[in-house]
Amino acid sequence: MYWLLLKRFCRSRMVVIGLLIVLLAGVAGIFIGRAHLQKQQTSLVKAARLQKEHLERNVHFFNKDMGLLFYYLRFGLVNETHPLNALSIGQRDVNSSLQNVNIRNLEAQLYDTDLFNPYGLLAGNLDLSFVLIYLFPLLIISFTYNLLAEEKEGNTWKLILSQDSKPANFLWKKLLVRVFVTLLAFFFLLFVAIGVLSLQPDLALFMVTGLSVLYIFFWFALSFFIVSLKKNSGSSAVVMATVWLSLTVVLPGAANNYLSARYEVPEALATMVKQRQGLHEKWDTDEAPTLTRFFAHYPQFSKYPKPEKKRGWLWYYAAQQMADDESAADSKQLREKLWQREHASKGLAFFLPTLHAQFQLNDIAGAGLSNQLRFLDATANFHEQLRLKFYPAIFEGVSVDKVDWKNLRLEYFREDRKLSWLETQVPLVLLTMILFGASWINFKKRMI
Amino acid sequence: MRRSLLILFARQVVKNALSNKAVLLLLAIIVLLLIYAGYSGSKIYADQTASRIRYQKEVRAQWENMPDKHPHRMAHYGYIAFRPKHPLSVFDFGIESYTGNAVFLEAHKQNSVNFSEAGFSTGMFRFGEISLAMILQVLLPLVIFFIGFDTIAADRENGTLKILLSQGATWKEVIFGKAFGLLAIALPLLFFAMVILITAGISVPSMLFGADEWLRAMLITFIYSVYFVVISLIAVLLSSVSKTARLALVSLIGIWLLFVVILPRASQAAGAAIFPSLSKVEFEAGIESDLIKKGDSHDPNDPYYKGLKDSLLKAYKVDSLVQLPFNYSGFQMKEGERISAEIYQQHLLSLLDNYKRQNSVSRVAAFINPFAAQRNLSMGLSGTDFNTYSWFQQQAEEYRYNLAQQMNDLQIKLISNRRPEQHEAPHSISRDHWRAFADFDYKRPSLRKVLNDESLSLLALLAWAAALVILVFVISKKLKAV
Repeated sequence: MYWLLLKRFCRSRMVVIGLLIVLLAGVAGIFIGRAHLQKQQTSLVKAARLQKEHLERNVHFFNKDMGLLFYYLRFGLVNETHPLNALSIGQRDVNSSLQNVNIRNLEAQLYDTDLFNPYGLLAGNLDLSFVLIYLFPLLIISFTYNLLAEEKEGNTWKLILSQDSKPANFLWKKLLVRVFVTLLAFFFLLFVAIGVLSLQPDLALFMVTGLSVLYIFFWFALSFFIVSLKKNSGSSAVVMATVWLSLTVVLPGAANNYLSARYEVPEALATMVKQRQGLHEKWDTDEAPTLTRFFAHYPQFSKYPKPEKKRGWLWYYAAQQMADDESAADSKQLREKLWQREHASKGLAFFLPTLHAQFQLNDIAGAGLSNQLRFLDATANFHEQLRLKFYPAIFEGVSVDKVDWKNLRLEYFREDRKLSWLETQVPLVLLTMILFGASWINFKKRMI
Repeated sequence: MRRSLLILFARQVVKNALSNKAVLLLLAIIVLLLIYAGYSGSKIYADQTASRIRYQKEVRAQWENMPDKHPHRMAHYGYIAFRPKHPLSVFDFGIESYTGNAVFLEAHKQNSVNFSEAGFSTGMFRFGEISLAMILQVLLPLVIFFIGFDTIAADRENGTLKILLSQGATWKEVIFGKAFGLLAIALPLLFFAMVILITAGISVPSMLFGADEWLRAMLITFIYSVYFVVISLIAVLLSSVSKTARLALVSLIGIWLLFVVILPRASQAAGAAIFPSLSKVEFEAGIESDLIKKGDSHDPNDPYYKGLKDSLLKAYKVDSLVQLPFNYSGFQMKEGERISAEIYQQHLLSLLDNYKRQNSVSRVAAFINPFAAQRNLSMGLSGTDFNTYSWFQQQAEEYRYNLAQQMNDLQIKLISNRRPEQHEAPHSISRDHWRAFADFDYKRPSLRKVLNDESLSLLALLAWAAALVILVFVISKKLKAV
C-alpha cells in the first residue's frame, strides 16, 4: 500500500521539481556556510600573524617607554566559531568575531563594528537554516495542499470511501509517505553538511537534528490540520500560503518592530558621549581627584609614587579608567536592555515555530545575541586582565625588554552554552501534538 | 479597445474580489498592517531622532564649553557625529537597521560607525521588519496574485470565456480590463499608505516634512503605481495562459517566491562569492602597511619625516626646530594627517567599490526581477540605501579631517616651539577657537543624485512594464479560449 502511494506521489512533476529546488538550495546553503566559516578562519589566521608583527614593530619603536608602548599595543580576543555556525550564520556576519583592544578605556572600543556590506545583509543569508525554515515548509505545503482535494477533484474519493471504513487512515498513510520523502531530503542535506563541514556527532548536532525534524513535523501537522478543514485545493493552497507568509514574514516582522520600539537603546549613545567626556575633562582638572578615585578603584596601586611627573602615565591611565567608571551605569543599563531584548525574543519565539527554530539554531551554533553579549563580557574581562597585568609594569617603569612579548598571542573565547533539550524541542512537540489532535477531531466529525 | 468593456471587466474583478470573504480578510489584514507599520515606523523614527538630536546637541555644548587648552588636546577630544534618519525612512527602512548610527571623529584615526540596530538584535531580526514599503513591495503583490489567479483561468474552466470572446470582446480587452481591476484594488491601498506617511510627516514634528519630502513621496507613489501595473499584468497574463486556475495559482505563488524570497538572497550570495570583500583585519592591515611604507611619524629615524625636517631647517636657514617661526610638531602632524587620510580614503574607496560590485549583481538582477528594481528605487527615494549611507560616512570623514587640520593649523600658528618646563603651565589657546569651528551639519544627497544612482533600477522597472504591455499585444493573437 505504502509502496503504491509512494510511487504515485513521486510521479508528480511538481514533487520532483520542488525536491530538486530544495536540495539545490540546501547544498548551495551548505557551501555558503562553509565560505562564511573559511572567511572567518582566514581572517583569524591573519589576525594571529598581524598581532605578532604589531607587537614586534611597536616594541622595537617604543622600547624606552612602557607607558607609551601600551598606548599603542592592541591585543586580540577571538570569539570561537562553532562549525555548526555554517548551517546557521545568524548574527555572526554582523558581529565581529575578533575584538582588538588596547588597555586604554574599554567603552571606546567595545562596540566597534565589523566591516560589512550593509546592503548585502538586507536580503538575508542563504544558509541551511534558511532552507529549513523557509523552503521546507513550502515543500511540505506543495506536498499536502491537495492531499484530500486531489482525490475529491479527481473523483477517486468516493471509491476510497466505499473501500475503507476509516478514510482518514488513507489520508494518514498518504501523509506518512510525504513525511518520509521530506525527511529523506532533510537527512540527505544533513549528511552532505556533515561531510562538507566535517561536523562532529556531538550533543549540539543531535539537538539541531531533533529541532529540524520536529520543525518539519510541525509543518506537516499544520498542513494536515488545514487539509482537515476539507477545502478545495485552491482555497487550501491560499490558506497554507497565507499561514506560511504569516509565520515567516508578517508575524516575525511585527515582532521585530515591536522589539526595536519597545527596547530602544539610547544608552548606547549615552555611553559613547559619557566615556569621551569622562576622559577628556580630566586634562582640565587637578590630578589629585583623578588619582584618588583611581586608587579607590584599585587599592593595590595606591603604593605607586604620587608626586610623579606632571600628567605622567599613572595619571593618564587613571584618567582612562575614569572614562569607563563614569560611563559604567549607562553601559550596564545598555547590557541589561539587550538581555531584555534577548529574553523577550525568546518568549515571543515560543509561540512562533519559525522564530523558535531560528532562535534555537542560532543559539546552538553560538550565533545569537546571547553569544555576542557573553563575548562582550569576555572582552571586558580580557581587557581587565591586561590592565591588571601591565599596570604595575607601566607604573614602575619596568624596562620594555623585561616583558616576554612572544607569549602574548591571540586569545580565544569559547561560549559556555547551556543546551537544553526541554527548551529547544518542547515547544514544537506541543504545537505539533495540538495540531494533529485538532485534525483528528476534524476528521472524526464527518468524512464526506 | 473599448473603454466601456475595460471598465466592465475591471468592475467585475473588483466585485468578485470584494464578495469573497477570504479576500476581504486579507485586504483587512493589509490595512491593519499598514496602520501598524506607519505607527511603529514613525515611533521608531521619532524616538531615535530625538535621542540623536539630544546627544548631538550635548556633544556640541560640551565642545564649546571646553576651556582654554592646547589645540591638539581638542583634536583628540574630537567630535561625535550622529547619523540623522531621513524622514522617509518611516516609509522604507531600507538598510537602515544594518548601518551604524554614531561615529567618534578624532585626529589620526578613522573609527567605525557604531551601534547598528542589527548589532543589538537577536537572530530573529533577520526575518526582516515591517514597513509601509515592505507591505506594498512584498505582501500586497501576493494578495494581488491570490485575487488575480482565476481572473481568466476560472472563466476558461467554466466556459464563460468562450462566450465573452464569441460575443465580440477581444483578448486585449479582457486582459487589460482584468488587470485594471486588480490595479483598482492595489492603488487605493497604495494611496492609503501614502496618507499614513503624510499623516506621520505632519504629526511627527522632527520629520520636518518639506518640499523635498513631498516630491519624493509623489515619486514613490508613481514608482509603486508602475510596480502594481507590473504585478497586475503578471497575474492576469499567467491566468490567461494557464489551463486551470489551480495551475495559475501555483505558478504565481512560485513566481512570488522566486522574486521576493529566493532571487534576492541568491543574487546577494552570488555577488559576495564573485567579489569577495576584505575582512576588517585585512582592511586595517592594508592601511597600516601602506602607512609604514610612506613613512612612520612615530619612528624618530623615519627617512620621510627626517627629510621633511631637514628641508625645513634648510629653507628657514636655522639649525634647530625650536628656531622655526611656526610650531613644527603641528606641521608634522598636519602632514601625517594628510598622508594617513589619503591612504585611508584610497582603501575605503576600493572597499566601497567592491561592495558596489557585489551589489551590482542584485542591480542587474532587476531586469529579471522587478521586485529588486522596486526595492532599490524605493529605498533610494527614502534615503535609506547604500549610497546615502556612504554619503554620510564621507561627510563624517571630511568633518573629522577638517577638525584635525584646523587644530593642527591653530597649533602651527599659535603654539610655541619651546616645550614648557615641568613647573610652567602647559601651552594653551583661547576656547573661542572651539566655538569658531562649526557643528557637524549633515547634507542629505539631493533627489537628483538619488535618481542618477538608481537610473538602472528605474529603467528596469519601466522596461518590465513596457515588456508586459507588449507581451499582452503579442500573446492576444495566440491565446485560445479553451
